[in-house]
Amino acid sequence: MKKALSVLLLFVFAVSMQAQTTNSKFVKAMEKALAVLDTATTYEHWLDASNNFERISLKETKEWLPAYYVALCQTMAFNLSKDAEKQELFAKKAQEFVDKADKLQPDNSEIYVLKSMVSGLFIRINPMVNGQKYGPIAGMELEKGMSLDPENPRGYMQKGISLFFTPEQWGGDKVKGKELMEEAEKKFDTFKPASTIHPAWGREMNEAILEMANQ
Amino acid sequence: MKRQILTLLLTGISAMVLAQTTLVKGIVTDKSKQALIGANVFLQDTYDGATTDAEGRFQFETEETGEQVLQVNYLGYDSLVQQLMLNGEAQDLNLVMRESFNELKVVVISAGAFEASDEKKTTVLKPLDIVTTASAGGDTYGALKTLPGAQVSSGDETGLFVRGGSGTEAQTFIDGMLVRTPFSTSTPDFAARGRFSPFLFKGTIFSTGGYSAQYGQAMSSALVLETQDLPDRSSGTFGLSSVGLNYGQQKLWKEKQRSLGVSINYANLAPYFWIVKQKPNFTKTPNGSNVDLIFRQKTKHNGMLKFYGYYSNGGVGFETTAPDGGIFGFDVSNHNLYTNLNWKGLLRDKWKLAIGTSYSQDWNRISSSYNVGFINPDTFKVNNSLLQVRAVATRFLGRLTSLRFGVENLYFTDGFKSDRFGNSELSDNYSALFAESDLYITTRLVTRLGLRGEYSTLLEKATIAPRVSLAYKFGDNDQVSFAWGHFYQKGDSLLRWQTQFNGQIPGFQRAEHYILNYQYIKSDRTFRVEGFYKKYKDLITTVDKLGNDGDGYAQGLELFYRDKKSIPGFDVWLSYSWLDTKRRFQWYPESAQPTFAANHIATLVAKKFFFKLRTNVGMSYSYSTGRPYFNPNRPLDEFLSDKTPAYQNLSLTLSHLTTIGKAFTVIVLNVSNILNQEQIFSYRYSPDGTMRTAITPAARQFFFVGAFLSWGTDRRQEVIDNQN
Repeated sequence: MKKALSVLLLFVFAVSMQAQTTNSKFVKAMEKALAVLDTATTYEHWLDASNNFERISLKETKEWLPAYYVALCQTMAFNLSKDAEKQELFAKKAQEFVDKADKLQPDNSEIYVLKSMVSGLFIRINPMVNGQKYGPIAGMELEKGMSLDPENPRGYMQKGISLFFTPEQWGGDKVKGKELMEEAEKKFDTFKPASTIHPAWGREMNEAILEMANQ
Repeated sequence: MKRQILTLLLTGISAMVLAQTTLVKGIVTDKSKQALIGANVFLQDTYDGATTDAEGRFQFETEETGEQVLQVNYLGYDSLVQQLMLNGEAQDLNLVMRESFNELKVVVISAGAFEASDEKKTTVLKPLDIVTTASAGGDTYGALKTLPGAQVSSGDETGLFVRGGSGTEAQTFIDGMLVRTPFSTSTPDFAARGRFSPFLFKGTIFSTGGYSAQYGQAMSSALVLETQDLPDRSSGTFGLSSVGLNYGQQKLWKEKQRSLGVSINYANLAPYFWIVKQKPNFTKTPNGSNVDLIFRQKTKHNGMLKFYGYYSNGGVGFETTAPDGGIFGFDVSNHNLYTNLNWKGLLRDKWKLAIGTSYSQDWNRISSSYNVGFINPDTFKVNNSLLQVRAVATRFLGRLTSLRFGVENLYFTDGFKSDRFGNSELSDNYSALFAESDLYITTRLVTRLGLRGEYSTLLEKATIAPRVSLAYKFGDNDQVSFAWGHFYQKGDSLLRWQTQFNGQIPGFQRAEHYILNYQYIKSDRTFRVEGFYKKYKDLITTVDKLGNDGDGYAQGLELFYRDKKSIPGFDVWLSYSWLDTKRRFQWYPESAQPTFAANHIATLVAKKFFFKLRTNVGMSYSYSTGRPYFNPNRPLDEFLSDKTPAYQNLSLTLSHLTTIGKAFTVIVLNVSNILNQEQIFSYRYSPDGTMRTAITPAARQFFFVGAFLSWGTDRRQEVIDNQN
């Protein structure tokens, strides 16, 4: 009996050890990849960061975070790329991974905000052809993302940026855009990510654009 | 027990300490040894891997041992997978990746063809271009007239006149099937518009020669239209314009497997004619209504079932002054039914199957009178119908090469009823078999070999039409293509000729095309130049006796340049066609340049979207040298030697985008012939040849104003759902 209990305990211990090591291995890999993301400034950096998350995402098929970050890195690579052919590939890959994240974690504010950013990429590829289709989609996604978590600073930032850069005739509003980025700044102050690997990016970007807007 | 645990722990620790690492490094390039930067090289199912640097090099360490699978991912390239045996020995790898299938890099046959598609990137036009071209007036055929090869000044006759061909030599196909009456009912001296809305189609191929063996019974041109798939969402539309109104509703089922759309249109030009005076005296202002129904259902085998049904009725009546001062009266009522049911799907992933059937019927009641008013007019009933079935199977071999086999059967009927001239009827059972291969020798070189066999029970004749095209792509942007083929067609007025010539029926007419094309497409700039030679044989002649004794030729050179880049914000295209043609056919006593052919045509189309005004401004200018007309005072050797004055048309269109309530709204203003120039299409002479009148448009200018609203029903949720 005692022996049986010991074996059971040992088994439980081993399993939990196993679970913990895999889990911590995942978190560690994510943290390492996030360190690359946090310091990324060039196009190559973003691709490197994306590759790290893609490897994790392919192994951890139940985790939404690596897929989310792949989509984010692709979006950033799109912004830094000047090759129209490549841009389209980045946008498609971003969409593939953000959809994957959404399937694994439905109704998540961060994912919807990113989805809206990705839809925006398609508009930028060809405003005349894609604008009518993706314009309303991007708007709805952002609205949903913001309503799912009103404290998510990235929702305010994204809305602020898009209002700021959209021409007034198309519903853009520089003043309101700036206000939203200021609101985002406040939310960044109080925002606490759920863990070390949950989305916490955007603060510097928001500051930089706000600074530019104030000039 | 304790000892056991200790042993276990110890072995665990020693395993950790002893874990060996293997260095994996190497270089990733494409086939031409170019380094690929930013590729993801990793061991499957591990976190171990690296990104390639500026020289394409990578390096990483792994604790994995034994047999492992290395994978390389790079955007735009096929993933590469390789077995590795890891045992601590460093691995140095030379990895070469293959570019993914990319349509931009693959040659396509461009001889004779202009394509508009949103899905394909290599096309010259987008479907939106058809709607926003100023001189098109929302008519697909109007937009095609801005492309090289088509006549622009044919305002007096219905149809597309391509490369010296008559209007009946150009055929329209919807989802592969021939459309018998693609135009609204035509009236003498006034060209009719296309029946079908350009918004029905997602893809348009306008072929001015050398087309695939899939299409028959067209000697000059094939317009191949592909209908839309499922819509993005449920929606409603409403339009109000200076010529009528329309309302439509379409529903997309929740699982996005099925959709149904219905629309109703009503047009009446009475209010417009009341404001803008017309030259003829309209006894019945042009009016018409139609309803159409569109059904889509996704099926097994990745298939799509499509149904399109259309019914319209309408009419027009007018009186004009004949050259001798008499009054010519004309009145027509028309009913038209068109249906098309087809299914497309994949069988065992190597076969694509497309089957379809289409039935159409056209009824006309025509009255005409001369100098007597409509007291006792000549009245005819002219009907025609077409029932067809068609099946095409495509077998894919490799990534690009395919073989196509098809069979079709078309049953045509024609009827004519008149109290004065009696009744007559005619029917033809026409069948065709065709086979064609798109053979890619490399991604840069393709040949298309096709053969089409046709048999008509009415003509009691069979034909075999061979067709060959090939295309070669030099670099990423330019290519040259060549096409050759035989194209047969039945006569277009068989019933009339049968009645006139005691039941005789003439045989097939034939055209032979030679086309050489050079095309350069680079990001927003397109340049094309195309030369052609076309030989006509066995054209139907009706002088003295009925026969296939006519012949002719057409040759020419055409240029097309489109530029969306050089002038910021502007989209400009320029076409020029030079045509040299002569033929002897039908009533022509001599070989001559036909009345429907001008020698030089130039068109300039420009569009710009003004963001601040949310307005798209489109302009088009067309110039055409005069066309020959028949002057009975000329001796035989000067047959058709007179030409009308040159034709010019400057049109302008404005479309303003806005919202009314929740509806996305487009307000359109369109004006043709802004410069108010006189346009003379031809002349008509009095029987004794002493007097003549010019054939001109019913009014010099045409104004169009309209507002078109569209709204999504329950759009918010759907838009989100659409994404998943």
